[in-house]
Amino acid sequence: MDAHKTIIRDLKPKKFGKRDTIWTISLIVIIIAGFVAYIDQLIKGQEVTNMRDYALWGIYISNFVFFVATSFVGSVTVAILRLTNNNWRTPIVRIAEIISLAAIIMAGITIMIDMARPDRLLNLFIHARLQSPITWDVVIIPTYIVISLLLLYFPLLPDFAILKNHFKKTKPKLSKFYGKLALNWTGSKAQKLLQEKSIKIIAIMIIPVGILLQTIDAWLFSTTYRIGWDSSNLAPYFISGAFVAGVGALVTLIYIIRKAKKLEEYITDYHFDKLGKFLALACIIYLYFNINEYVMPLFTAKEGELTHLDALFTGSYSIAFWLVSIVGLILPIIVLLFKKGRKPKVMFYVGLAVVIGSWWKRFIIVTPTLLHPFLPIQGVPKSWHHYFPSLHEWLITFATLAMAFLIITICVRYLPVIPIQRTIDELEASKTNNKNT
Amino acid sequence: MKNLNLRYIVFLFFLGTFLIPGLCQKLEAQNSDKIKIRIKANYTKVIGESSFVDITTSARIDRKTTSIPNINLNVFSENADDELELGETTTNHDGKSRFIIKDLSKLLKDSLGFYTLNFKFKGNDVYSKVSNDVTFKDADIEAKSFTKDSINYVSATIKDVFLDSLLAEKLLNVSVKRLFKSLPIGKEFNYTDENGTILVPVEKGIPGIDGNLIVEVILSDSDDYGTVKALVNTPFGKPVVLDNTFDKRTLWSSRDKTPIFILIFANLLIFTIWGIFIYLIINLFKIKKS
Repeated sequence: MDAHKTIIRDLKPKKFGKRDTIWTISLIVIIIAGFVAYIDQLIKGQEVTNMRDYALWGIYISNFVFFVATSFVGSVTVAILRLTNNNWRTPIVRIAEIISLAAIIMAGITIMIDMARPDRLLNLFIHARLQSPITWDVVIIPTYIVISLLLLYFPLLPDFAILKNHFKKTKPKLSKFYGKLALNWTGSKAQKLLQEKSIKIIAIMIIPVGILLQTIDAWLFSTTYRIGWDSSNLAPYFISGAFVAGVGALVTLIYIIRKAKKLEEYITDYHFDKLGKFLALACIIYLYFNINEYVMPLFTAKEGELTHLDALFTGSYSIAFWLVSIVGLILPIIVLLFKKGRKPKVMFYVGLAVVIGSWWKRFIIVTPTLLHPFLPIQGVPKSWHHYFPSLHEWLITFATLAMAFLIITICVRYLPVIPIQRTIDELEASKTNNKNT
Repeated sequence: MKNLNLRYIVFLFFLGTFLIPGLCQKLEAQNSDKIKIRIKANYTKVIGESSFVDITTSARIDRKTTSIPNINLNVFSENADDELELGETTTNHDGKSRFIIKDLSKLLKDSLGFYTLNFKFKGNDVYSKVSNDVTFKDADIEAKSFTKDSINYVSATIKDVFLDSLLAEKLLNVSVKRLFKSLPIGKEFNYTDENGTILVPVEKGIPGIDGNLIVEVILSDSDDYGTVKALVNTPFGKPVVLDNTFDKRTLWSSRDKTPIFILIFANLLIFTIWGIFIYLIINLFKIKKS
């Protein structure tokens, strides 16, 4: 029983320290700055952005694609590891679920930010064409938000009940709050049966829904018939890219949360080693699709494709392209292949490189294609041939990233980031196994 | 007193010397300042349909030829002895007007069978009065289509109606009527033979709605006959198969024409997934109650 108490004490949500408060206030300040910029954008219109007739999608869409990709972590880690009975998943799944939920909520908000007239949002539903990938996107994002929420909530039920009891004497208000969220959970056989059944359904369902989400996201581009996007490879390319972005984000955040909440005993080197292998696999698959995406057009050498590839390989986007490819993809693979490369601190830097690389990758997927239209417009200003986000765009984008972090921070503050009940169950199971052996 | 009268007469003389030419000049200037209009008239006869005269009114203003709108013209039929008023016509904002000849037989003609239509403008404060006429004879083109030895032909015979004689050595243009500009067919120059006839093969494969082609046979801007046009409807065209998906259910059609398979597949997916969500939420209620 002491062991149980220790687990609860270690894993229960803890009050913010000084550092956490500063972090949260910083996020709020960034969000307020972005909100002010957004209000200005609403008043003045998208004139305040650097998006013009050529680059009509810019940093907002890149950011949207990044969020969508990151949200895939819920499907790949939680569902796949759960269905394949990988027990090492226990301390990481909740964080993955939180990242998934935060990312998909922010994807939905980001796409609305990109709309010059958000008041016309309802038109997307009223005048929806079911043939359009945009309509599918409008449907799939709320769907994925709901499924991510359910995936987070169902496994939390026993933990909420534990926290309700734990805070009963010390913090009655908090206990009441957890009690309401626990839905009268007693751990009865009927409740467990319903919970396990529901989690299994969600775990099975979130994989095709996640793949659908990434595919629709890819089809938003590939159905536009533009050079750099017009590729049958694009959907698997996006899925594998999302795999990388999601696991990269997971590794980075796990390291930070582990350190901040002193969870070294629960999230060990072993878990990082496993996650490192997982990330290496994701990066290798993504590298393969990258080769497909860039080498084939290089061989077929169509004029438009070559212009696009020139911009990436040697032109104005070459620095970003090579940094993303080498630092964000190839180097992580090399590092992760070695056991020392899968140590927590190294993994943190690798994860950071992968996440930043993933963000810029979306930027170079979106922008260079738009700057090479099929029908160049006559007499356009020179500045339209290039795109770099304006201050408004940067402020708003940073605010969306800060909002994602804020959602994660709030969840980390009030939810047990490592499943308490499951950790106790695993401890009991290992004790029983030890006795048997 | 005599001296005073003389001085008075001399004063009036000088005053008159300066004033009268000035006044005359002003009156003359008023006349010469009026703009002179040019009237251009072209006679056209479309066999079996109508005869008309296309009129344009223009003037040289600031060294540029400018169309003059709203010019009211009186139309007269004339011969050497008589004049018959047919009506009036007014040019539109482009300076153009079409005067339709309702019945050619009611017009005056001379002994050689020439009709003369005179267009008169009475003049106004800005434009001086002017008139112009157009002279023409009545001609007929009889056009028909036929197929011989698997080759499609259009033949046309032109004759002078007044003389009832066939017209040889007349240049007839043959073309297929298209939406914008007609498509010339046959030889570059088709002159009528001694029987006043031309024969023009119609090549296969020219697209036409329901396979129909309207072939035009035209005597253009003849000094004697004006423009005479005959239209013949032939079945020699290649039927146009309109590849129009506008009313079909396609991936690029409007929302009310969504392909059935997308309607079924997308709705099936949406309702299945959201149905499962409802089931899962019901499970939450069950957990709460159990």
